[in-house]
Amino acid sequence: MKGVLGLALGVLTAIGGFVDIGDLVTSSVVGSRFGLTLVWVIVVGVVGICVFAQMSGRVAAISGRATFEIIRERLGARVGFANLAASFLINLMTLTAEVGGIALSLQLATSIQPTFWIPVAAVAVWLVIWRVKFSLLENVTGLLGLALVVFAVAVFLLHPDWKALGGQLLLQSPSQGSETPATYWYFAVALFGSAMTPYEVFFFSSGAIEEHWTPKDLGQSRINVLIGFPLGGVLSIAISVTAAVVLLPQQIQVTSLSQVLLPVAQAGGTIAVIVALLGFVAATFGAALETTLSSGYSLAQYFGWPWGKFRPPAKAARFHLTMIIGLVIGAGVLLTGVDPVQITEYSVVFSAIALPLTYLPILIIANDHDYMGDQVNGRATNLVGLVFLGIITIASIAAIPLMIVSAAGS
Amino acid sequence: MTASLPDPPPVRGRVLDARLHLLDRQVLDLEGQPVTTVDDLELADLQHGERREAEPPTISALISGPILTTRLFGGRTPRTRLHRIAWDQVTEIDIVLTLGVPGDALEVTWFERWLAEHVIGRIPGGRHAPD
Repeated sequence: MKGVLGLALGVLTAIGGFVDIGDLVTSSVVGSRFGLTLVWVIVVGVVGICVFAQMSGRVAAISGRATFEIIRERLGARVGFANLAASFLINLMTLTAEVGGIALSLQLATSIQPTFWIPVAAVAVWLVIWRVKFSLLENVTGLLGLALVVFAVAVFLLHPDWKALGGQLLLQSPSQGSETPATYWYFAVALFGSAMTPYEVFFFSSGAIEEHWTPKDLGQSRINVLIGFPLGGVLSIAISVTAAVVLLPQQIQVTSLSQVLLPVAQAGGTIAVIVALLGFVAATFGAALETTLSSGYSLAQYFGWPWGKFRPPAKAARFHLTMIIGLVIGAGVLLTGVDPVQITEYSVVFSAIALPLTYLPILIIANDHDYMGDQVNGRATNLVGLVFLGIITIASIAAIPLMIVSAAGS
Repeated sequence: MTASLPDPPPVRGRVLDARLHLLDRQVLDLEGQPVTTVDDLELADLQHGERREAEPPTISALISGPILTTRLFGGRTPRTRLHRIAWDQVTEIDIVLTLGVPGDALEVTWFERWLAEHVIGRIPGGRHAPD
């Protein structure tokens, strides 16, 4: 019985933990501008994150090495450092967006200015990392994040014209006259980046070591990933659908978190909004924890410092100092008054640019017998891995030209 | 075309490729605690940049710390600032290098120890694992 409960808990946590500020904002923006014509990107992104999260978890459980140790060992000090610098900065940007997301959600819930909530959120994130056990923080935020199921419920309450929605699913040039193909593909890259964010892989592989996974735990992790992530992706799609049904016909462009909520308010009233806000806070708070930890993980693993929440902070001093500095920078940037929604929109595109940096070394090590023994990738996994490496590389190369041509999607 | 490659020269023991098996690998201490990453190697009787093809080089120490900056950006680290871990303290070479001494006894961990004692350890709860 405990086994079944543990299994269910793992899957539910993976569903609730999948969505972060990037998914919330990007899915809604895309739904409000392109209807469902870009939903296929979420599907592709979810398959990709499943393949690579699963691969990095397997490498961590079998070899005991987390992602950035591997990146440095394979790429060497120099290229590894360039990779670290890029990944760390992009992660810091995502961290800033997530903390901003907490503040915006709390502002919507309380009508108190975000300038009040930004320091509160940063300190709360730090306190949880400082004192709460890894498994607890992961499970609580994941389970509360399930409140976002309200978006899926809202889709049905809105009684959409299913036939018309279905028609939008097929890949087509954007139906709205004002959108250019460059804008369409720019948002395709952004949506892809939001589904496959690199920090999820740092966090997943380091988490496997935090929780002392052995090859025996891989069955559970496979179920979590293969069921939990796709269902998490369904939540992302639901957010897009609500925006496509309510916001698109009225030509409302999503520029703030309150607009993401509008369709839910129309469908389910105050109670639905309260539930959705709970989901927003849980999703952004959970992701803020993950990105903060990832900033510590990546630096500590590159330099070979002790790291991990299973150690007392004084036994991983530089790891904890890195996270404190990361949170201070994130909160500082937000206090200058920049719009967290805009930071989010850029962070998902930069995530897409950085994807090959993370995924290539993992794919190489997953085929190395020194690390993996006889548990190296099978042919099927390698084939899927290579196909995705191709897609990721194309998205990464196309991102900047698309950003310029489409003027960042405006 | 069936011409085969010449046989590799006979060697005693295990062949290690310094770049592949030593550089940039994680170093753990006696208790399995992370110490550092191998940033560079010190070769006995060889000056910086010198090459000798005739005999295999002998490694005298692992080097870490400030040397990484010069590996990344060029230049040279003053000898007094090299953090050395003598080669005879290495007990095992696998996908990580294991030392036979506790990490706290090594010069390379001084900043970690200083930070733990003066900053992180001073914050309430800093000395206990989360519960």
